[in-house]
Amino acid sequence: MYEAIVFLPLLGCLIAGLFGRVIGARAAELVTTILLFAAMVLSWIAFARVGLGQVNARVLVATFMHSGELKVDWALRVDTLTAVMLVVVTTISALVHLYSIGYMADDVHRPRFFAYLSLFTFAMLALVTADNLVQLFFGWEGVGLASYLLIGFWYHKPQANAAAIKAFIVNRVGDFGFALGIFAIFKMTGAVDFETIFAQAPALGGKTIHFLRWDIDALTLICVLLFIGAMGKSAQFLLHTWLPDAMEGPTPVSALIHAATMVTAGVFMVARLSPLFELAPNAQAFVTLVGATTAFFAATVALVQNDIKRIVAYSTCSQLGYMFVAMGVGAYSVGMYHLFTHAFFKALLFLGSGSVIHAMHHEQDIRHMGGLKDRIRVTYYVMVIGTLALTGFPLTAGYFSKDAIIEAAFAGKNAFAGYAFVLTLIAAGMTAFYSWRLIFKTFHGEPHDREHHAAAHESPLVMLVALVVLAAGSIFAGYPFKELFAGHAVGEFFRDSIRQSATILDDMHHLPIWIGLLPTAMMAAGFLLAWQFYLRRPDLPVALARQHDALYRFLLNKWYFDELYDFLLVRPAKRLGRLLWKGGDGWLIDGFGPDGVSARVIDVTRNVVRLQTGYLYHYAFAMLIGVAALITWFMFTGGPH
Amino acid sequence: MLQAYLPILIFIAVALIMGGVVILAGRVLGPHRPDSAKLSPYECGFEAFEDARMKFDVRYYLVAILFIIFDLEIAFLFPWAVALNEIGMFGFVSMMVFLGILTVGFIYEWKKGALEWE
Amino acid sequence: MDQAFDLPGLYPVLPEIALVGGAMALLMLAAFGGARAAGASNWLAIVVLGLAAVLVVATGTGKYEAFAGSFVLDDFARFMKIVTLVGSAAAILLAQESVGDQARGQYEYSVLILLSTAGMMVMISAADLIALYLGLELMSLALYVIAASERDSLRSSEAGLKYFVLGALSSGMLLYGSSLVYGFSGTVGFAGIARALAGGDSGIGLTIGLVFIFAGLCFKVSAVPFHMWTPDVYEGAPTYVTAFFAAAPKVAAMAVFMRTATNAFAPIVVQWQQIIVFVAIASMALGAFAAIGQTNIKRLMAYSSIGHMGFALVGLSAATPEGLQGVAIYMAIYMAMTLGAFACILAMRRADGAVEQIADLAGLARRSPTVAFFLAMLLFSLAGIPPLAGFFAKFYVFLAAIKAGLYALAVIGVITSVIGAYYYLLIIKVMYFDEPAPAFEPMRGELRMVLGVSGLFVLLFFIYPRPVVEAAALAAKSLF
Repeated sequence: MYEAIVFLPLLGCLIAGLFGRVIGARAAELVTTILLFAAMVLSWIAFARVGLGQVNARVLVATFMHSGELKVDWALRVDTLTAVMLVVVTTISALVHLYSIGYMADDVHRPRFFAYLSLFTFAMLALVTADNLVQLFFGWEGVGLASYLLIGFWYHKPQANAAAIKAFIVNRVGDFGFALGIFAIFKMTGAVDFETIFAQAPALGGKTIHFLRWDIDALTLICVLLFIGAMGKSAQFLLHTWLPDAMEGPTPVSALIHAATMVTAGVFMVARLSPLFELAPNAQAFVTLVGATTAFFAATVALVQNDIKRIVAYSTCSQLGYMFVAMGVGAYSVGMYHLFTHAFFKALLFLGSGSVIHAMHHEQDIRHMGGLKDRIRVTYYVMVIGTLALTGFPLTAGYFSKDAIIEAAFAGKNAFAGYAFVLTLIAAGMTAFYSWRLIFKTFHGEPHDREHHAAAHESPLVMLVALVVLAAGSIFAGYPFKELFAGHAVGEFFRDSIRQSATILDDMHHLPIWIGLLPTAMMAAGFLLAWQFYLRRPDLPVALARQHDALYRFLLNKWYFDELYDFLLVRPAKRLGRLLWKGGDGWLIDGFGPDGVSARVIDVTRNVVRLQTGYLYHYAFAMLIGVAALITWFMFTGGPH
Repeated sequence: MLQAYLPILIFIAVALIMGGVVILAGRVLGPHRPDSAKLSPYECGFEAFEDARMKFDVRYYLVAILFIIFDLEIAFLFPWAVALNEIGMFGFVSMMVFLGILTVGFIYEWKKGALEWE
Repeated sequence: MDQAFDLPGLYPVLPEIALVGGAMALLMLAAFGGARAAGASNWLAIVVLGLAAVLVVATGTGKYEAFAGSFVLDDFARFMKIVTLVGSAAAILLAQESVGDQARGQYEYSVLILLSTAGMMVMISAADLIALYLGLELMSLALYVIAASERDSLRSSEAGLKYFVLGALSSGMLLYGSSLVYGFSGTVGFAGIARALAGGDSGIGLTIGLVFIFAGLCFKVSAVPFHMWTPDVYEGAPTYVTAFFAAAPKVAAMAVFMRTATNAFAPIVVQWQQIIVFVAIASMALGAFAAIGQTNIKRLMAYSSIGHMGFALVGLSAATPEGLQGVAIYMAIYMAMTLGAFACILAMRRADGAVEQIADLAGLARRSPTVAFFLAMLLFSLAGIPPLAGFFAKFYVFLAAIKAGLYALAVIGVITSVIGAYYYLLIIKVMYFDEPAPAFEPMRGELRMVLGVSGLFVLLFFIYPRPVVEAAALAAKSLF
């Protein structure tokens, strides 16, 4: 059964990818979607059996590689953590497949698109079922590849190609850290499979790794390196720049990969390796710091963006920061809780945005929208539900998980817990503001583009079905699971699949009541502000922007990160590349290598040919010179003996 | 020791005397009627007193070379004839082979017309 | 005294006698038989060459001497003689039409080839300096005449004259060296010279004699710096003559070079090794560099042959049985490649006459793909690209050089062969990628045959190289 979950999408990918032309686009869509739904059903069964039935499983599929001390098997490790991810991945993926049938209906490359989607799903499932770090890395790179292919799906668009390359390269930075982390673990423990690593982890305390002249605490180093990998994949602060650009891909891709699943791989990885992180408090503090900073930073940028997908993308970035804050303070189950709920409402928001874009004929700028709520009513309602969940309106899914994180940050013990609490709280307010800004500017007020507005039409039924299912998930994915993820049942639900900080949940349950109310208050404040700015006094934000022009530009330009990286990294790298190309390869290697040699050969040839004068006496002279030279040589070297 | 060279001395003396006697006899006994053709220096086939770098007819060379080949053949035959007793049948056959080859060459040049002047 | 009846003593010389006798008979036949006999003279000459080859093979194995030891027939001589005879026969085949083309009376060409081949055979078997000189002159005199055989052509006459004058100079050097060696060792026999040298009282005079003799021999194999005649003569002489020059005489001269070096001068191997190494490097380098600048394919082949002689000398400089085996293999393969290449050059003929510029080959692949393919294979082989025969030729000599510790020489050899590959590949590029030049006339049957045989030999050598390799090994062993 577990094999089926992982390999059904691969089967779909192969059928659609290899035989897509033969069987036709419609068949490719159906095959991949049906297989995905089958996998989804199996995943829910697995969730029931493993999570609720409390039976772990390990399925050995194949021997991956055995070389010396390195022993890597291909095994499916299915415990509660994996089961949660299986459910999230297959459910969202199945719905996105379904949605894409409608959304991509006009595209001629549908078989390729569905093959990529299924390929991504397979890689993601391989990632979450990994039994060792190498397998994890396989899935990690697999989703990176699928992400690259899907962002650049519209390969005739230069921005799409640039975005795809950017995503790939920024992820390489993270992957570099991840790979180093794996190497370090292998060096310290001699193994890459989780069982052995976790068994040996406590013994690593206090050990150091010698690098150049420094001795670095082994566990801290390993965890930080691994977390750098997570930062890349989950678009955390400093390595976040690729995520907004990745919105160049088709919207279903953004929903599946860049909201619900792939970007949470980093979160999953930290949870999976919680036994290591729990032993490295400094690394945990670092995780908290980065997570909180991201949550705040991304929220500020989202305040002023105008592209509907980019707003949601920054929101995703921000929410991922929340999850890392939970991870950093040791509340892994809480982080997973937010991951679980976030998958639903963020996928919903993306697909809803997709529906809007679809309705507006690929217009993405919210300044050109407005007044759409009557034209596309279903989309409007589900977007509102998604927004309620995202902002943490009481009793929606996001309410439970996000508040739990803020509480965990308050209850957390590490150096940056307080910092995280303050920033996540502020971010919660900003989340409400920018989310409602999006709703108000898109659906309310006066239409800014009459023509598009008039032509706007509701999406087809397949898309709406997916939206409605996700909307239901956004409401109901919260409360029923509260006890399992953040309540008293955590211990028996997750068992040994994560190593939760011992006291964090207890501490969370004994917080002052105002802590629990604060996020809701922030949410309400954000909503009111947005209402004031965009419904009652639309002139206010313009005036405000003019008043604080510098700040506005700073935010609009995303804290100038792209420009900074361009200046610090891209341009020096290009300059270096140019130097090596022109100077190193062109001048040095070609000049003294092939070109130089051939030029010298021509010179020599010219001179040698000049010797051939055609005059007999020159020839005879050459012969005599030759004899004379040889005799002279022997005269000086002394002849025989 | 110098006695060994006595026959050569005698030979030289005889040669000088014979040569002198013949020239003298011609001068004394012969008729003496000079004309312009007789007084001009003799050059085989060419005008005398011209630029030395003139074109020769190549046929002269052909004849000269053919002559030299047979001339050398004679030079080879003399010692062979003297030593024939010593070298026996082997020497005889060898020379016959040599002459045979030479003859083949001679026939060839004859057939080719190298001996025809026109 | 009764040596004349000691006919068995002449058995080793029978092939040479057959050649000379055949030449005489042919000369007479052609002189008396008129045009028809003259036309047949080429085929008859090939028959004579075949008869000589049969006689060479018929002696089986082992070493025979004649003329009191100045003539030796051993395995080495057999190998080289067969190669030479094949080369001469192929040269006659190549000349077939060209001869018929000209004004009547060119039947001398085949007779001269027979005579020159007889001289080569004597050279190959020469075991003293006099036999060496006799054979060399018999070969050379015939070659001088052949070079100038196109009497009406200024270039041909110039080539013949240059070849003659420089050849006379080199013969003079050879003779001068011989007299020095005779003077200092008291004998002209190779065995006697070796004994005298091993005796230890060899002064500088013997070394100078060695240098002069080697200079004379280097001239014949056209090794640098005694190569200067080669490009001019190759270009000036009629193409079928050039084809002959590039093949059989080179083999014979290399053979006598090998025998002289290893038999007569074995005790001063250190000295002659230096000469050979120098000459080999100079030849390889010049062959590689100078050929690049050529536009005339005959001239290019001249430099190519200079380079190849350099490679062959690499094997000789090793002075080991492996080295000489390598040279023997090299010469056999070199001859096959050269004859095939010249078959193609001879086919470069348009209605208004023969052409010999590389540019005339442009687009040959589209005009006559088979010929282009074979020529490309031969050129690849000349460049030494595996798995063609030319690669193995170079492989054996370089291997021997490395085993003998001549690393620098082997490295230089490989480098120059890389440089040399350029101009072979350039021709292939011209044939395959340039815009087609006007078509040639159809290729004659004889040329097709030579090209086909040599092309297949070069192509398929690697499948079954044993006969050649083992025969060469046997040949090399008999020199030591």
